[in-house]
Amino acid sequence: MDPLEAIVAQIQGLSSSSSDIARLHTILKQSDDSLRSDSNRLSPILSLIDPSIHSLGFLYILDAFTAPSSSNQPQAEEVVPIITRFISACSVEQIRLAPEKFVSVCKRLKDQVMLLEAPLRGVAPLLTALRKLQVSSEHLTPLHAEFLLLCLSAKCYKTGLSILDDDVFEVDHPRDLYLYCYYGGMICIGQKRFQKALDLLHNVVTAPMTMMNAIIIEAYKKYILVSLIRHGQFSTSLPKYCSQLAQRNLKVFCQSPYMEIAHAYSTGKVADLEAFLNAHADKFESENNLGLAKQVVSSMYKRNIQRLTQTYLTLSLEDIANTVHLNSAKEAEMHVLQMIQDGDIYATINQKDGMVRFLEDPEQYKTCEMIEHIDSSIQRIMALSRKLTKSDEQIACDQLYLSKVGRERQRYDFDDYDVPQKFNI
Amino acid sequence: MDGDDDTSGTMIDEIYANGGEESDQRSRRAIMSGDQLDVEAYAALYSGRTKIMRLLFIASKSKIPTVQLDTLRMAYDEIKKGENTQLFREVVQKINGRLGPNYEMDLSWCEGVDRKAEQKKERLENELNAYRTNLIKESIRMGYNDFGDFYYSHGQLGDAFKSYVRTRDYCTTSKHIVHMCLSTILVSIEMGQFSHVSSYVSKAEQGTDALDPIIISKLRCAAGLANLEAKKYKLAARKFLETGPELSSHYNDVIASQDVATYGGLCALATFDRAELKSKVIDNSNFRNFLELVPEVRELINDFYSSHYASCLEYLGNLKANLSLDIHLHDHVETLYDLIRHKALIQYTHPFVSVDLNMMANAFKTTVVGLEKELEALITDNQIQARIDSHNKILYARHADQRNATFQRVLETGREFDRDVRSMLLRSNLIKHDYNFRASRKL
Amino acid sequence: MDLSAVTAALELKSYNKVADILDNLMLQVAADGVAFHNDWPYAIHLLSHFYVHDINSARFLWKTIPSSIKESKPEITAVWKIGQQLWLRNYGGVHEAIRGYEWSQELQGFISAFSELYTKEVFQLLVSAYSTISIEDAALFLGMSKDDATSYVLQQCWTVDSSSGMLTVKKQPVVTEQKLDPRKLQQLTEYVFHLEH
Repeated sequence: MDPLEAIVAQIQGLSSSSSDIARLHTILKQSDDSLRSDSNRLSPILSLIDPSIHSLGFLYILDAFTAPSSSNQPQAEEVVPIITRFISACSVEQIRLAPEKFVSVCKRLKDQVMLLEAPLRGVAPLLTALRKLQVSSEHLTPLHAEFLLLCLSAKCYKTGLSILDDDVFEVDHPRDLYLYCYYGGMICIGQKRFQKALDLLHNVVTAPMTMMNAIIIEAYKKYILVSLIRHGQFSTSLPKYCSQLAQRNLKVFCQSPYMEIAHAYSTGKVADLEAFLNAHADKFESENNLGLAKQVVSSMYKRNIQRLTQTYLTLSLEDIANTVHLNSAKEAEMHVLQMIQDGDIYATINQKDGMVRFLEDPEQYKTCEMIEHIDSSIQRIMALSRKLTKSDEQIACDQLYLSKVGRERQRYDFDDYDVPQKFNI
Repeated sequence: MDGDDDTSGTMIDEIYANGGEESDQRSRRAIMSGDQLDVEAYAALYSGRTKIMRLLFIASKSKIPTVQLDTLRMAYDEIKKGENTQLFREVVQKINGRLGPNYEMDLSWCEGVDRKAEQKKERLENELNAYRTNLIKESIRMGYNDFGDFYYSHGQLGDAFKSYVRTRDYCTTSKHIVHMCLSTILVSIEMGQFSHVSSYVSKAEQGTDALDPIIISKLRCAAGLANLEAKKYKLAARKFLETGPELSSHYNDVIASQDVATYGGLCALATFDRAELKSKVIDNSNFRNFLELVPEVRELINDFYSSHYASCLEYLGNLKANLSLDIHLHDHVETLYDLIRHKALIQYTHPFVSVDLNMMANAFKTTVVGLEKELEALITDNQIQARIDSHNKILYARHADQRNATFQRVLETGREFDRDVRSMLLRSNLIKHDYNFRASRKL
Repeated sequence: MDLSAVTAALELKSYNKVADILDNLMLQVAADGVAFHNDWPYAIHLLSHFYVHDINSARFLWKTIPSSIKESKPEITAVWKIGQQLWLRNYGGVHEAIRGYEWSQELQGFISAFSELYTKEVFQLLVSAYSTISIEDAALFLGMSKDDATSYVLQQCWTVDSSSGMLTVKKQPVVTEQKLDPRKLQQLTEYVFHLEH
């Protein structure tokens, strides 16, 4: 009997119980090479197997069929629908037996839709795929980054946001995390969720690492700009838990014009900042950060007006315009109005006298809504601190950790591994 | 070095005689008044090199031609009493013939002085060599000290410094050490090397023997100057305030008692809080002696303390031009004035719930618009807790709502905790991953 | 391509649901490999993002529309004109853009619902941001004639000073629930327990 037919027969025969599937898996692993060498004959076989019942077998054959090494590689238009259908039909239990294979098939789908210049076609399938692959919502799969990249290319930022609200902790490979956070940061920037973007980029910058890579440098550049937009300042010192490598190199790599724009910002002078941006527009443009840099400039108007609210109870529109370097009182009025609309300041404009009255935040922390909010924060933080304790215990019992600490006890104080003081609740 | 002995007698009289003597009146006005500086009275307060340098400094800073020429003429006369031909050449160049034939280049004088110097140097060298071969410690020390004096009088400050420092190895008594310190301090001040000043002051103060009150006062002044140069105004104020009246004119090759009052008073005003100002300056009977010499400074401190800001600022304004001509203070006048003004503004607003800006502007001799800008800066800096009602021109004190602020802070801390713990867990997982990965590779 | 869910939502005037429905539907048809661009209700899709204030998503959607379609369907471009004005916060410009096109039967209902919502929101903004405002500006913001704007705001208890042409804004007291649920006490106990252990 033809070996290929034999495999198909095995796949069809061994799909009912988990022990069957385990046996099938062993057989498939052994015949992986022969499948790959026969890749040009696999196309008709795929129509013989039901992807929902024989998911594992289908996956192996699909992987061999779409492998880039195969002699006559199938056309994108042929491959995309097959993978798409497989992703939606496949059984979760079976594909998790061969996660690497599943990931590589999904990545091929991404490559193919990119090749077709139709990234949108891959968005929904990849979302399904990553949900099927992940063990829990805390699990970061290698598909997360691929999915976000497709969202960026297809400009479905909103869809991308949907997975960024999950808190991920379990990571298969550090690189997955870097890319996930970097692309995630870009999606949040697109949707103007700057705080979330900062959190994500922060994770990249402070990640433990032993080699510099381009992702972290690009992330740091965006981190600087978003910090300025969101907080109006940028602290040049990195936290001490940041890797040595990052501490030493990031500032050097990002000196011009990123560290410099942060410096120009700190003077509080719009005209200087604008001049700086104009002088370095090419550089920002070439690194795809011009849009962000422009938002940095407009955020300074906001920041300067906000500063006035700390100082004045009332101020004329004319004076506001002069102080923050706007052309007219009307322009100042529009800025103030927009900031009121966005909740950036509390104020009322008096057109009759041409004055603005700045008010305190009306929040009294008395409403049920606020109490609900505080409540949910407490719940969330309690859950987190439980998680922290659990993780601490796990590490304390970890064989590898203990043997390392045993060896290095002289070198490290046990306190070094403790939770920072301020979190000792 | 020891030149102050001949003039000190008369100067003491001047300072202690608080009567209406003409010379006393003049010297007061010379230092501290809104009038144009009386250069002659001013110069009379000093001796030695600092007198010349102060005159030259005024010549370079003053915009008034007559003052420039007066100071240059006096510097010329003063230099000619000494042996510094290099400085002489410089002054002649600066005068540039503007003072007539009596103040032109005098080559024969220069050559005479230089020739004598050459001979003296040779003699000193021979003497020192002889002492060194005989290994008589005290003589060697004297020899180096003479060299120091020699170089100092000829304007070779670096060499003078080195010679004085060399005497250190041959000092046998604590008196010698103190002498060495005072000499190096003097040279260092002239060189503008104030870090040396601090270190030799502390070296002199380390000695076990009780120091002469005059020397203690000299050291306080030197330390005060060093702190002033380092912009440590509060420390400078303390040092000047600790200076005893024994100083009188004993240190007039560095500083006059009037300067102690001015430097100390302004630094204290700029950096002390109200209580300190009262206890350490106004009620300080020691320092009062100095303040009596410069009534304007005494008055403006009292005005400040009794909240007569307009008068205080007026005094300050009048003094500014002359203070800017002071060789040590000129660089710090702006900063000290700003600090004093800020403190005055803060102190003015402090007790009020609301302040009429028109009245306040009046009290500070400024416009409402200018005052708003000043207050804005201070509020932004969180030095004044208030808000400006620019429409009605009223400043309202702001009392933060503790309850709301607490809620705000709690929520913010919660957010930070949330963020930090999450990224911490992530990092620890990454480290674990990396460690496991390496461990598995080793197997 | 099955747009019935959209049609149903529009008929029920559940306008705030339309964006999500269309977003998901678009991902689905794209994944199925359907060439949807020519028949896609881009105008409704854009408008649905405006309706839920998601101007960012509208902007990204606009960027993905093939230029041939932008050219052949002027109504899509007309809708985007509203988006541009929203993006620029040109309040008066939004009303102009709404009035500046003869909308198709299909879109009319949605457009007027959006227009009504926008006017209401701008009015709320004026209430919170102004203490006095000129009749002229109020009319511009609300997209009405001066007379219409005046009578609109007078209904909301504003007052008018006809000599200076100024309107004085009447703030509405905000009513918020402040009553506490007794169950909160139980939760509080739990928090303290957590802190102690």
